[in-house]
Amino acid sequence: MEFLHRYKRNPAAVFGLVLLLAILVLAATAGLLYPQNPLGLAGRPLQWPLSNPDFLFGTDHVGRDIGAQIFHGARVSLFIGLIATVIAIIIGIVVGALSGYYGGLLDDMLMRVTEAFQILPSFLLLLVLVAVFGSELQTVIVAIGVVSWPAAARLTRAEFLSLRNREFVQAGRTLGLGDFSLIFREILPNALPPVIVYASVIMAVAILLESALAFLNLSDPNVPSWGNLIGGGRGVLRVQWYVSAIPGIAILLTVLAVSLVGQGLNDALNPRLKNR
Amino acid sequence: MRFLSLAGRRLAAALPALVIILAGLFLLLQLAPGDTVDALVAQMGGGDASMIEALRRHYALDQSTSVRLGDYLWRLIHLDLGHSAIYGKPVAEVIVDRLPATLLLMGSALALAFAAGMGLGIIAARRVNRWPDTLISTLGLIFYATPSFWFGLMGIFVFAIYLGWLPAGGFGSIGSGLTGFARVLDIAYYLILPTLTLALIFLATYLRIMRASMLEVATLDFVRTARAKGLSDNTVVVRHILRNALLPMVTLIGLQAGTMLGGSVVVESVFSLPGLGRLAYESVMQRDLNTLLGVVFVSALLVITINFIVDLLYARLDPRISSGH
Amino acid sequence: MKLTRRELLLSTGALAASALFPPLLYAQQGAKTPAPRKGGILNVHLGSEQRILNPSLRASTGVYIVTSKIIESLVDLDANGKVVPVLATSWNASKDGKTVTFKLREGVTWHDGKPFTSADVQYNALELWKKHLNFGTALQRNLEAVDTPDKYTAVFRYSRPIPTELLLRGLADLGYVVPRHVFEGTNVLENPANTAPIGTGPYKFVQYERGQFIIAERNPKYWRKDQPYLDRIVWRIITDKSAATAAIETGQLQLSAYSQLTLADLDRLKKNPEFVVTSKGLEANQFNNTLEFNFRRKEIADVRVRRAIAHSINAQFFIDNFLYGQGKPATGPIPSTSTAFYPTDSKQPYPYDKKRAEALLDEAGYKRGAGGIRFNLKLVVIPNGEDVPLLGTFIQQSLAEVGIKVDIATYDYAGALSAVYKEHNFDIATGWHQYRGDPAVSTTVWFRSGSPAGSPWTNQYGWQSDKVDKLIDDAASEVNPVKRKALYAEFVREVNDQLPIHFVTQREFYSVFSKKLQNSHNTSRWPSSDWSDAWLQA
Repeated sequence: MEFLHRYKRNPAAVFGLVLLLAILVLAATAGLLYPQNPLGLAGRPLQWPLSNPDFLFGTDHVGRDIGAQIFHGARVSLFIGLIATVIAIIIGIVVGALSGYYGGLLDDMLMRVTEAFQILPSFLLLLVLVAVFGSELQTVIVAIGVVSWPAAARLTRAEFLSLRNREFVQAGRTLGLGDFSLIFREILPNALPPVIVYASVIMAVAILLESALAFLNLSDPNVPSWGNLIGGGRGVLRVQWYVSAIPGIAILLTVLAVSLVGQGLNDALNPRLKNR
Repeated sequence: MRFLSLAGRRLAAALPALVIILAGLFLLLQLAPGDTVDALVAQMGGGDASMIEALRRHYALDQSTSVRLGDYLWRLIHLDLGHSAIYGKPVAEVIVDRLPATLLLMGSALALAFAAGMGLGIIAARRVNRWPDTLISTLGLIFYATPSFWFGLMGIFVFAIYLGWLPAGGFGSIGSGLTGFARVLDIAYYLILPTLTLALIFLATYLRIMRASMLEVATLDFVRTARAKGLSDNTVVVRHILRNALLPMVTLIGLQAGTMLGGSVVVESVFSLPGLGRLAYESVMQRDLNTLLGVVFVSALLVITINFIVDLLYARLDPRISSGH
Repeated sequence: MKLTRRELLLSTGALAASALFPPLLYAQQGAKTPAPRKGGILNVHLGSEQRILNPSLRASTGVYIVTSKIIESLVDLDANGKVVPVLATSWNASKDGKTVTFKLREGVTWHDGKPFTSADVQYNALELWKKHLNFGTALQRNLEAVDTPDKYTAVFRYSRPIPTELLLRGLADLGYVVPRHVFEGTNVLENPANTAPIGTGPYKFVQYERGQFIIAERNPKYWRKDQPYLDRIVWRIITDKSAATAAIETGQLQLSAYSQLTLADLDRLKKNPEFVVTSKGLEANQFNNTLEFNFRRKEIADVRVRRAIAHSINAQFFIDNFLYGQGKPATGPIPSTSTAFYPTDSKQPYPYDKKRAEALLDEAGYKRGAGGIRFNLKLVVIPNGEDVPLLGTFIQQSLAEVGIKVDIATYDYAGALSAVYKEHNFDIATGWHQYRGDPAVSTTVWFRSGSPAGSPWTNQYGWQSDKVDKLIDDAASEVNPVKRKALYAEFVREVNDQLPIHFVTQREFYSVFSKKLQNSHNTSRWPSSDWSDAWLQA
């Protein structure tokens, strides 16, 4: 309750939450408001927003309804962000937990791999992965998850290092608990909060990474993602700038919402920083 | 001497990671559909089978993966990065051509992000939870949330086309024959927009970290002591808080070096800058393994070097570390 | 010939000033053609980096747009597509079509000062065109020897008859000559002159800065008197299309050829009084949007399904709404501008007809099932140009209307070519077919059986027709132009009927250039010509 109270006192965090809820509403009502296939030919290409009552947001360069793509795209972007984040967090937690708990040679090896991933620019690795395995949505999501985990691993490892010799862990050990239970039942729940907060950063970056891929025409064209719409609108940006601008703003707002909520969580969890 | 041995040890420690990266990428790209000859034939607009086969022999693509990987690593031990398939000259030369643009872009973006992030972070921290703080923090988040290519394109249209203040892209006026200071100014003029674009993403992070660490340090005992001694607010901030708050900022430079290079792929593509990021993108698309691995190798060295420098800085800034050694 | 900084500042100043008063400039255009002005720097857009700047090893417009100013071909094409002399001054063929004799231009020297002779032509033909040059290897397949009875005569000997107009039309693109003394005895693919070209052309290579620019300057010893007029040509490498448009509009570039800007920007620049947007001068390079079928899918193997798919695509709608009206529906693999071969009675074989398409699909036994879907297809988009993904989307939208669900697979260029032409991992694919003046050079290879997997833009569809193979082979060695045209008419009829590839559109490339650029686009392959008479207004 204390936590909620602190969160509520932070106007930016509340604004972020409202924004995020609004985007969730977009995603939820997409099927109701735009039952047609959002990638179907809706009308003449490049109709300006508000110029035709059928297309409040206008049509894009291939005659698809931008409004439909914004609503359905909310689903896709949130989906990409969420799943990629979950993948990254799971990899990060497993690597970080094993590394931090066991230490020694295993830690050394896992940290070398983590370093390798950190030294290599993640967008570059993402390009290679997509060039190699193709651009289907699943592939793109997994690829984004695969390039985003190292920071989560380091964070988890640091938490484990500080927690693994605490009394409650020692107690568990003397009770004869196995490594598995110690790692996942005892230590992990305590190590999780900072990682969860960091997840908001991963999610924000994941959404941006997908849009950058789409900008280079390397994302999945069979789903109505905002990134694809920006990438497609790039060719007509000079005059029909709205084709790129509208999804650009949608991405901006979503990433903003996710970041604000993340920061709000962080501040609420670390009250020391806020209550000066 | 101590510096050199430290640097040597650092490099040695990074070697396993480097080998993992290079061998991993090499093997990964073997799985890619199409090879450099396919990309070449695509660029040529077609060709017949015998010619294509001859080209595959020319690029040694008819040999087994393990042989080629062995060859590559063996050559790398001799510091030979091989021959670039796209550019038809040694990879080392290609990279040397491309390095200045990337270093300049990264350096200036980093400097801008660092300086602006620090300044804004200080202001925000000193007015914490009041409107300047809210404004700065929100602005920072908006920058952070803006897709950089989108910002870059919008920047081109506003500043290059409609206002005509800045060039739309490129790296200095071509064939201008400018030398010395005039040339420096010329290039700086071309780098304004790209620097802004690349810096924006990182500005937000620096700002946030600066603000947070300022607040954190301010609660520590020695600051309270300083305040209790009756030192003025500004003196406390500059002498005590700032110095300590800079530590995480410096760490961040090291952490973000790799990310920045990734960001420059997109920025260099938008602004047609002849840098490493675009070279890396081209070599992935053209399946030019030698060039890609060369870029990755050099950028990894770059990241390692930056981290090394960061460590040295860290030791200077933090009295606890230097006395501990 | 070096430009001082002051001269340069003056000329850029003038450039900026005239940009301020475009209407004035426009008014002057109406006056009679003024005398060419010497001097000036032409800045040209280059949309992609070239690995090798040697047109006798690499036949592509990206190579020609740079190197054809530095290296010359035996022949070129005039505004009407007629073959005209360049390094070859005249030619004649023996009656049996197996021997072609070229007389070469005298008094021509290479940029390094050595004389140009028949030995150079002999070396290029046998060692470069026949062995390494893409499309050249096919054109010169039956070339057995090149005799050099004297320094200015080259006699090409073939084992099978070669139609003279095929050879000459082909040589405009595939007949560039590089110096023998530079290439002989070296590894030709690694020769330094591949990136620092040496030729006989009106401009001499100066510098190639990777990823940035290529510079060539006036060749004072050029064989055409008083030419060229320009001091320098600078090709600026700008890969981002929007950035290139911005460079055009801000006066940093005066020319962008071969449709390297976005369709939208091309359309928009048409309305700008400072620029000309035209397909005139690029007639020799036609291209089509294609739809390739993979016969390994059982649904596709049924000709009724292929015809139904062709009937479902409204090519005119696509052109009008997606391509800003650039192009027209195709009638088959040979474009209507290629009058020597275009069958006169051609019409669109499968015009848009949704009802007919549905009827054909029903007839083939693929009724609409759950959700109105008959079957799924995987469409591979081969990203030749901006318009290909657009057509991919349009095909997806169009086939959805008749109950075929299309999943688009995106790859990068190398990946897409490999998926289609090597691994055959597609049901339908869409990309470009580029026509190079004679069906035997560029087009029949798309239909002839026997190409091994891994050769892009060849018949990899799992389809084969003995009749078509024979027509292709007969036409390639038929020396009588009338009979040859008839064979190709028969060929077009046959492949339109069988439909292994559906040719959706027929299109031309576009150039954008500043109105200051004079004597431009005055031949049918102008961006690939030598530009010796082009000049810039002050």
